[in-house]
Amino acid sequence: AFVEDNDFAEFEEFEDEEDGVVNDESDDDVQEPVKQPVENEEMQEFDDEQEEEEDEDPLSDDEFEHLHDEEEFENFDREKDTPKGKSPDKLPDLQMAKVPLHLRTSWDSFYLEMLMIAGLTVYFLNFLAGKNKNCKLATAWLSAHKELLETQFSIVGDDGVAKEVTSGVLMKESENVYTLWCSGRTCVEGMLVELKLLKRQDLINLLLRIFKPASDQVIVKVDLDDGKMDNFVFCVAQKRSAAKLHKDMNDLSQFTERKSSEKFDMPVSYQLLSEVGEATSAVLDKKVCQMLTKHEGVIEYIHISDQFSGPKVQEDTQPTKMPDTKACLMFCFTIPGKGKTRASDMEDLKPLLQLVFYCVDKVSRLQLSREARMKAEKNRQKAEEMFLKAAHTQRQELAQQRREERKRAEKERLMAEEDPDRARKLEDRENRRESKKKQPKMKMMKIKAM
Amino acid sequence: MQQPNANDPKRANKIVRYKAQPAGGPGDDPTPDYMNLLGMIFSMCGLMMKLKWCAWVAVYCSFISFANSRTTDDTKQMLSSFMLSISAVVMSYLQNPQPMQPPW
Repeated sequence: AFVEDNDFAEFEEFEDEEDGVVNDESDDDVQEPVKQPVENEEMQEFDDEQEEEEDEDPLSDDEFEHLHDEEEFENFDREKDTPKGKSPDKLPDLQMAKVPLHLRTSWDSFYLEMLMIAGLTVYFLNFLAGKNKNCKLATAWLSAHKELLETQFSIVGDDGVAKEVTSGVLMKESENVYTLWCSGRTCVEGMLVELKLLKRQDLINLLLRIFKPASDQVIVKVDLDDGKMDNFVFCVAQKRSAAKLHKDMNDLSQFTERKSSEKFDMPVSYQLLSEVGEATSAVLDKKVCQMLTKHEGVIEYIHISDQFSGPKVQEDTQPTKMPDTKACLMFCFTIPGKGKTRASDMEDLKPLLQLVFYCVDKVSRLQLSREARMKAEKNRQKAEEMFLKAAHTQRQELAQQRREERKRAEKERLMAEEDPDRARKLEDRENRRESKKKQPKMKMMKIKAM
Repeated sequence: MQQPNANDPKRANKIVRYKAQPAGGPGDDPTPDYMNLLGMIFSMCGLMMKLKWCAWVAVYCSFISFANSRTTDDTKQMLSSFMLSISAVVMSYLQNPQPMQPPW
């Protein structure tokens, strides 16, 4: 600090101090960096004061007495402003290092992962709940129908795995499909009941079903003994599934055509596919029509056929062998309630099972008239012929392909021959053979020319 | 067994054992196989291209295929698809432990 030689030197120091004080007030709200200059100024003042005291002490203390008097200065706070004897080097500048975002490992930045884990837990909980619900529904169905089944079949629920016959076993195909096999009844080889419940265990399917409602289904397939049933194919189905069945099923597409159902007093929502009119009217008797009207939405389709061979299999090549056909009755019941089924709903499916047994007995007793049987026989032969013709044309194509294959191989061998004279000999022989084949045409040409 | 009287339809001598259908029938639904395949593809690309969201989707796919699996499916395939997808997730986090960037 230098001492100026003009007269107002002391006054300037006054202003410095006041500035210093003024600065003190303003330094609270200003950023930190501004703080340093104030501290240096204070340090400077501190040194100046010491110098003043040294050289002017002898002059007089009282002249600057007022400087040490605190009231002189407005809001001058002793503790805050004067540096409390901290040595300057201990005050490190706390510079916040600029840390890039991704090095911060705080947990809340992993919110997407938490979302994923939450989704998985929700899916798992729904899986457990859906699985239990399906299991409960299946066992409820079994307990509701068990004693009726036991009056009809000698074994109910065999899984075919154990050596001797087991009973009461409901096989679980998947979380939502249960099957039950019953056997040991007159004119019936066996009956397979398939409980096609909704995929309650799959959350995605659950959400899908909000837009496209669906409901549980019970499919009963009764395999009849051979020869127990007259030859006819018949199906009555809800309109929504009739078209699909007619297109997909082998026997329906081959033998039946759509018939109007005014003749029978059954609901309009049903579509009739029949081959032999006589058999249809025999099956659709009063009792069956009553059941159809009573359980209109529930009975999805009744399919009775002696040529049943499952749905069409999409194969590009024509199957060489006729699909093996079996006489069987198939019933499909849709459990009402659009998926909100309760275990108690299974009780009112019992009359439908009685309908199944009623139809089985009726069909096995049914005797068609002679001409109906002739007509059915003719249909079967026609179908057989069509099939054989299709298989024959296919065989011919195969033969054709083989012949072309041989010819191409012959030509290749010819080209591949190394020594020229043998190649020429082969060629001559080839040409001679071809010319012999074309011989007759050549002659005619000559005669015209003369 | 009691004598088969007129209206008792049961015939103990005519019992036919249950023969399980061939697995590839048209009836069974294809979702578990599709989901399994999708899970494999996602976990592969999650591992190769270090995309975390792929690995997570792979875990979902293998879980869905587990939910829809048939009892006749062998559990080894299920287990392998789970292991693959979980390893994809773990590997992608071991390489760079940053939070996942959504694909959008």
